[in-house]
Amino acid sequence: MLLSYARASLWGAAIALIPLSGSSAHEIVGNRFFPATLSIDDPGVNDEMSLPTADSFKTGDVPPVRQRDISAEFSKRITEDFAISFGTTYTFLGPIDPTAAGANGFQNLETTFKYRVFKSPEHEFVMSVGVSVEWGGTGSSTVGAEAFNTYTPTLYFGKGLGDLPDTLSWVRPVAITGQVGYAIPGRNFTTTFGLDPDTGDLTADTEFNPRVLNWGGTIQYSMPYLKSSVVDLGLPDSINHLIPLVEANLQTPVANTLTSGTLTTGTIQPGVIWVGNTFQVGVEALIPINRQSGRNIGVIAQLHLYLDDIDPRGIGKPLFGGPVQPASPFAR
Amino acid sequence: MRRSSLIAVTPLLVVLASSAAQAHALLDHAEPRVGNKVESLPHEVTLWFTQKLEPAFSKVTVTNAAGERVDSGKARVSGNQMSVSLRSGGSGTYHVNWHVLSVDTHTSEGSFTFQVGQ
Repeated sequence: MLLSYARASLWGAAIALIPLSGSSAHEIVGNRFFPATLSIDDPGVNDEMSLPTADSFKTGDVPPVRQRDISAEFSKRITEDFAISFGTTYTFLGPIDPTAAGANGFQNLETTFKYRVFKSPEHEFVMSVGVSVEWGGTGSSTVGAEAFNTYTPTLYFGKGLGDLPDTLSWVRPVAITGQVGYAIPGRNFTTTFGLDPDTGDLTADTEFNPRVLNWGGTIQYSMPYLKSSVVDLGLPDSINHLIPLVEANLQTPVANTLTSGTLTTGTIQPGVIWVGNTFQVGVEALIPINRQSGRNIGVIAQLHLYLDDIDPRGIGKPLFGGPVQPASPFAR
Repeated sequence: MRRSSLIAVTPLLVVLASSAAQAHALLDHAEPRVGNKVESLPHEVTLWFTQKLEPAFSKVTVTNAAGERVDSGKARVSGNQMSVSLRSGGSGTYHVNWHVLSVDTHTSEGSFTFQVGQ
């Protein structure tokens, strides 16, 4: 018992030390604060860390499997507009049907290179481009990690509606974000060899690896924005920190689909994010859009740390360029 | 929460709590209150932020519906609070624009309106 407490404390100490010694992305554009959303990458770059993100759902496999994931992501700005993030996920597959086998293991490591190409504070608009690389062979095949790399160039955007006219002031706290990525597997097909149990002959099973459109978005209503930029209704502080939102996270195979088909799978995720000064906490439901996407409503939750706010002069600043600071006082 | 989980999370919470004074300065509240109506134009507008401000790099302007400045120009900054005096003005919508630098070197900006009139 004592040993387990000591281990737990060491783990906690390790978590605590990471921001101080050594971060994924919220973004501020003018009046607008874009939180880090749980499934759709937010449109900006920053020094951040998601630790942990945890989810649980029943897969669309036949027979279905209860999948639980725990993942972590660390994002570090190299310059003010360019960041590299590293992500890892550990998956637990638990059989629901006694005939299905369970498995545990890491998914492939993922690295994302992201560059903010445009930012308009006046219109609360931001756009970034990036490339994610899933490093094949770094995860366990027992949980579905592929043996080949997958490259996904992606466009990210975010738009706050703060520039709407006064007659639509109640809509100003709304923001939308989105991403469109094109996942390109490093191998066009995978062939698995085996022996026919009846004849003993050598068999070959070829599966084509499709190119997949990863697309989705969020719609958010920011209570902090309502209070600070539209109207202060005198609501309780706990309410003023909330951002209710709905995410849509979708995948559509679009090429090399001979064995995969072209059916779109994914989830619709209503939930809420509580935003603090240095961290945020989010929880969402995972609602599969069809039977192939899952068998029931799952859940995803995340603790997300703003490293640029926790340690602005250390890990929370770009490696090159430093924090932005005006050269002279503003003109009066 | 299990006791072992509490022990694990405690160092993390300590870091977060101890760093609470270091973050982007965002508007917490203002007087006159954001988006609200007052009977007559007050002598000053005061803004409270979530973090302490650097006085030399923080400013606030107030304009009337015609876009004319009605502030005195010189903002007073103390801690996380910034005020600016106002000249006289009539009824209508007033726009407050702020741009601040928090003590941890983060810049942030924003705007809001308030109404004057019966």
